[in-house]
Amino acid sequence: MSATGPDAGPSTATAYVCPYCRTASDATATTCPNCGAPIDVRQVVTRSGWEELPRIRDLARIQFGQSTCQVSGKYVPVADMRLAAGETVYFSHHVLLFAEPTVQLTTMPMGNGWDRTLAGMPLIMMQATGPGNIAFSEDKAGETVAVPLEHGQAVEVHEHRFLVATSGVSYTWEKSGIWFNTIDGNDQKTHRPMGRYLDRFESDGRGLLLLHAAGNVFLRDIPEGDQILVQPGAVLYKDPSVGMELHLEYPGKGSGSGGGLGGLGGLGGLMHSVGGSFSNRVTPWLRMWGPGRVAIQSVYAHPKDADGPIGRTAQATSQHW
Amino acid sequence: MERIVCSWCQAQNDADRTTCASCGAPLDAHNVVMDSGWREAPRLRDMTQIGFGNSTCQVEGEIVPVAEMTLAQGDGVFFEHHAMLWKDPTVPIAAISTGGGMSRMLGGMPYLVTTATGPGRVAFSRDAAGEVVVLPLQPSEELDVREHAFLVASHTIQYSFERIKGFKNVMHGGEGMYLDRFVTAGDPGILLLHGYGNVFERRLQAGEKILLEPGGFLYKDSSVTMDIQQQDVKTGIGHKGLYLAEMTGPGRVGMQSMYVHHESE
Repeated sequence: MSATGPDAGPSTATAYVCPYCRTASDATATTCPNCGAPIDVRQVVTRSGWEELPRIRDLARIQFGQSTCQVSGKYVPVADMRLAAGETVYFSHHVLLFAEPTVQLTTMPMGNGWDRTLAGMPLIMMQATGPGNIAFSEDKAGETVAVPLEHGQAVEVHEHRFLVATSGVSYTWEKSGIWFNTIDGNDQKTHRPMGRYLDRFESDGRGLLLLHAAGNVFLRDIPEGDQILVQPGAVLYKDPSVGMELHLEYPGKGSGSGGGLGGLGGLGGLMHSVGGSFSNRVTPWLRMWGPGRVAIQSVYAHPKDADGPIGRTAQATSQHW
Repeated sequence: MERIVCSWCQAQNDADRTTCASCGAPLDAHNVVMDSGWREAPRLRDMTQIGFGNSTCQVEGEIVPVAEMTLAQGDGVFFEHHAMLWKDPTVPIAAISTGGGMSRMLGGMPYLVTTATGPGRVAFSRDAAGEVVVLPLQPSEELDVREHAFLVASHTIQYSFERIKGFKNVMHGGEGMYLDRFVTAGDPGILLLHGYGNVFERRLQAGEKILLEPGGFLYKDSSVTMDIQQQDVKTGIGHKGLYLAEMTGPGRVGMQSMYVHHESE
């Protein structure tokens, strides 16, 4: 573990740049007014360089426009927004927890609807306009992550992680481009370990995007020229500058019959080396390279086993060990 | 020099340590033991580091913790292949058959385990809220673990499994339940489990018995025997009744508090 204190302490009213959301504030509070991250804690970084996103403290206020958002709850946090008159947020209807009667709820049709419905995404978003309180929550234990966006800033988000956004944030999507086929007799089965689409949020003016992550959240700045392999289903969001591509990793064969872990000894008993068709088993990774920021969550959908030889794939790199 | 004995894994630690070097348990916190004798598994502090061989493991996150391994040259770990969260591109992986073939695959259990060898980094996590339980194994120790609870183990540990036929019908529609068995030979090793919800442990004396809901069973010393007992309770039309696992000491029994069955796909 390494720990570094923030440059500006909470007592000084100089510009403070939040290490998590990267926006500036005057650091007069104990939490970042733009993303809710605590200011008066040490940064927690794993040995390999992942920054653990600190929990948004109960009742910390995030400011957007004239409205505020409080996040509370430890296991499945609730995002409770106090919308000022005339200010609008949009969301998918299933995340709505409660709304005051003064909040005006309307539907917001989305383009490219048919495509999206097939992929299991909501065809219609709802929008809520203040004044009044409205709250949102998801159905998995985890963290609510606030991503403030400056004018013109965009972020790409794994599908189904979106919770709510302010009306100035545009929502589009594109094909994730992460897929491969497996061959089963005459059939080809298509696997999309990252989902069919990648959501893209771009802000016109200062905007706020809230995501819900299952489990814990870790951030990493990938320097230019560096790369890392990540479970495709664990991605939360990334800067558009971060490149990504499918990477297929084929395990090697364990050496020697009767046990041995790559010749390291141990693992005896029933184990023996694997050959033939089982060496087809492949781990589909997302290879991500810098420069830019990537956030992952510790829970991910288990990728379906690729149960046959690989057929066609999206553009991919591979490694046979 | 003064030493502190870890109450969780019994390892000896230097007096200035606040967490156990072998299992990560806080050394400066009281054990939480219920009147019935179950104790809470130590809640690992965020970013706790544990050593094994020449490698280290860091446990990070408190909702669904991640175990991040920094493997030294010549050290290795094995795991169910879908438990990898991320890795360095340079860390080699290999597949090793566990035997058992079709019946185990039909039971949803991996027919293969995957190994990763150092040098380099690889990290693991599971799919629901819970705790990482660190169980260092001394030479000649044997531990039986509920299927799919195993997160990662060091390469000095041997791995096999057995099918518990008595769990047929109890668990998931007649597929039975597998117990993973971890055994050390000459060298110690480290075993990490992921328990759903919170994890509790109890030491049974020889002959002492406890009835456990099978879904709550997490692990046991192989010296503890397990029998499935049908209770004389009707739970509804078409249901045969309530099954409980009767555990008989001596040895440790671990249980998890959240026992919704998780499909493994």
